[in-house]
This record gives sequence, C-alpha cells and structure tokens, in this order.
Amino acid sequence: MIGFVILAIIALGGGIGVIVARQPVHSALFLIMNILALAIFYILLSAEFLAAAQVIVYAGAIMVLFLFVVTLLTAGKDDREPKENLAGQRLTAGILAVLVGGGLAVVGVLYPSRAIGLGLPHNFGNLRGMGVTLWGPDFIYLAAVALMLLTAAVGVLVLNRPRRQVKPAPRLEERES
Amino acid sequence: MIVLQVVLLIIKIVLLIAILMGGFAYTMLLERRLLGFFQLRLGPNRVGPGGLLQPVADGLKMVLKEDLMPAGADPFVYRLAPVIALFTALCVDAVIPFGAPIHVFGLTVNLDIANPSIGLLIAFAFSSLGVYGLVLGGWASQNKYSLLGGIRASAQIISYELAMGLSVMGVLMMTGTANLEGIVLYQKHHGWLFFPQIIAFIIYFITAVAETNRTPFDLPEAESELVAGYHTEYSGMRFASYYIAEYINMITVSGIAVTLFFGGWLGPWLPPIIWFFIKVAIFLFIFIWIRATLPRFRYDRLMNFGWKVLLPAALIYFLGTAAFVSGLI
Repeated sequence: MIGFVILAIIALGGGIGVIVARQPVHSALFLIMNILALAIFYILLSAEFLAAAQVIVYAGAIMVLFLFVVTLLTAGKDDREPKENLAGQRLTAGILAVLVGGGLAVVGVLYPSRAIGLGLPHNFGNLRGMGVTLWGPDFIYLAAVALMLLTAAVGVLVLNRPRRQVKPAPRLEERES
Repeated sequence: MIVLQVVLLIIKIVLLIAILMGGFAYTMLLERRLLGFFQLRLGPNRVGPGGLLQPVADGLKMVLKEDLMPAGADPFVYRLAPVIALFTALCVDAVIPFGAPIHVFGLTVNLDIANPSIGLLIAFAFSSLGVYGLVLGGWASQNKYSLLGGIRASAQIISYELAMGLSVMGVLMMTGTANLEGIVLYQKHHGWLFFPQIIAFIIYFITAVAETNRTPFDLPEAESELVAGYHTEYSGMRFASYYIAEYINMITVSGIAVTLFFGGWLGPWLPPIIWFFIKVAIFLFIFIWIRATLPRFRYDRLMNFGWKVLLPAALIYFLGTAAFVSGLI
C-alpha cells in the first residue's frame, strides 16, 4: 500500500509536470518519469513482461524519438509563456476534467465490484501469459493491429513520395568511383 | 534470515560496482597500452610498474579538475545527464550471472544481484534507457556540437537497437527461456549457442559496438567533426562519468554476448567465474582491436547499413530459427 501511494504520487506528479513545464524537454522528462512509474506498477502486479515492454517500447524507443524531435526543434528557443489564442479554454477544460473525475468516483463508489477489477487472470502480463493471449484466442486482433500499422507505414511512404519524376542525383558511391 | 539476505544483497551490489569500476580502470589502461602497441609506440608506462598505477593518477586528476557549466546550460538536466548514463550502465549488470551459484556456510549464493525470469528483457530495458544520458547531455549543454552529438546518438542507437533485439530472439526461441541463468544451463547440455546462431551473433556484436558508441560507430563523439560530441562541455567527474559509462557498457555487452552465445561461466578445469572473466576479456580485446583497425563510418553508410543490411538479415535469420525450432525445416 505504501509503495502504491508513493508510486501514485510520482506518476501523478509526472503527469502534471508534463502540462506545467514550459520547456518541451522538461515535459518529455516528466512523461518518462510517469512511464517508469507505470512500469513499476506492473511489477507490483507481477506483470514483469508488461513492465519490461513498457520500458523498452515507451521509454526506450518512443520517448527517444520524441526527444530527438524536441531537441532538434527547440534548441535555443524562447521558453516563455506563449500568448493564449483561445480565451477560456483552461476554464472549460478544468470544468470537464472535474466532471469526468467526479463521475468516475461516483460510479466507483456505487458499483465497487465492477469498477475495480476483482483479481487478475492467471499468468497476467508475464511472458507466458502474454504469449498465450496474443497467439491463442486473440490472434485475430493481433493480426488486425499488425495489418493496420503496416498500412499506416506504407501510407506514410506513399504520401511522402516525390510528386514529379525528377532526374535523381548521382549516388555518392557512383560519384566516388 | 531476511536480514541476512538483505546484507548479502548489499554486499553483492557493492562488490559488483567495485568489480565494474576496477574493470573500467584497467580496461582503459589496457586500451591505451594496446593502442600504443598497435601504433608502434609504448603507451602510458611511467606511473607504477608497467603503468599499472596510471588509473589512480587519472582518477585523482579527474576529481581535482574544475567542474564547469556553460552559462546558457539547463542546470538540472546538465547535472542529471551523466548520472543517467552511469546509472543505467551499472544497472544492466545486475542480471548477468557471473558464475555458477556457490555454497558458503550452508548458504547458496547466486553470483548475480537478481535472477528474474525475464532477465534478458530487463537488461535490454535498462540499456535502452542509457541513450537519455547522451541526448540530454547534448541538449543541456546549449552548444551546437553537443546538440549534434546528442541527436546523432539518439538516431544511431534507435536504429541499431532493432537489429540487436531481433538478433537475440533466436537464442530465446532455442532455449525457451529469457532467464539468463537458464540460457547458460541450456548451453551446458546442448553446446554453445554460437554455433547454431553464428549469423545472429555477428549481428549482435556489430550492433553492440554501435550501441556503445565505439569506433567505427563513434559518430556521436566524432572528434574530427564535433569536437567531442555530447560531452564537449563536460569536465571533471561529470566527464569521467560519461567515460566510465562507456567502458562499463562495453563490459556489459561483452558479458551478455558471453552469456548468450559462449556458454557464460561454463568451462573445464578453472572455476566458473574465471572462465567468465576470461571470455569477457577476449571480447574487450576485440573491441580495442577494432578501434585500432577500422576508420569511422560515414553517416549515410551508417544508416544504410543499419536499416538495409543488419535489420533484414536479422529478420530473415530470426524467421529461419523460428521455422527450425517449430519443426518446419
């Protein structure tokens, strides 16, 4: 329980920090802090594979790409508070957030057994459990997601191909020889 | 009993860090002397017999150097970055088994800090965090050379991490476990995995050189273009942290290669831990040999090689291993 509270504070602090920090690199660091806290949550649920995957995929790959772009674009930029273009968006967002949070709390109190999961499935989130889930009954979803991601990747390549056929510049290898 | 286990754990952690620090110091000395011999000179041999006390002198010099920070730097991130680099480098070694479990005073002591069932994935998770030290250090220095070094580091390490992950998949499929001790014990009965997985090993080793930013993949700190890359602005112990992290990463990837492909601590006659250190030392020598022999990659070739050669090759070998393990061929 103590561990849960400490981790929850770290995770929430990370989440709030992402929004509050003015420097994009600091926001990215707070997001990494949040991701790592979630990974330790998975370990507390003895879902060790999910924890390792969380760190390798999100912290180790996606956030590095984020940082790559952020460091490339924001080096030496002014990091003061930007002028707000949409008046009152903070107020609206705040009211909506409070409403959603309050709604969730009410549902959680009224239907405790449904809102809070009762126990975890066998082998939850470890290597064997994940393998059985992904390659057993849920294989069709895995294939569907894989197909969708492949389509997205091919789509990016198609959208970014040069419009007109320009005569290609001689390749570096050829120029050398 | 629990108190005893905690004390044992702390002793093991302190010992591991001490071994790694000592390993770093003498790998560096070995590298400087060997590079000297490769270039027909002697290398540092003045401090102590045969230069053996050179690391002490270097350490003293690093501690006494002034710790500088550029005026425009981001103070918190600037101080955090070398810590991340060193911390992640040390953490990976916690799951590597250095030898067979030993029995002292009726206790069974595993020669690793932790032995999780997914040890290999934990090692990869920590090593994938190491790149933050480089990127953040380069960014926080507010220096264009540092920034270029940091950006190069992130692009290079992300590109080569994919091929590295695929290259060890074959080992996982053949042994059926991600536990590093289990992988070593499998090789006790079936022989070194190097023989069935030779292509995977070659890909692993190339990507390991790239992940540790060693020549010929040292583009993030290419001194002829970027002064010193991401650690240009660092001095004193912060600079030393980066340096230590690089050498400890070298020891770590060698240790993982030995564990996965060369039977870990297994070997006749000598005690297991000695075998482990001998195998790692051979790898370290190869690292130094490569540095003395090969010139640096050009950037476009680095990217082409990673994405168009290593990744497809690793993928094909991975699929071939899968077909073999499942009995298709």
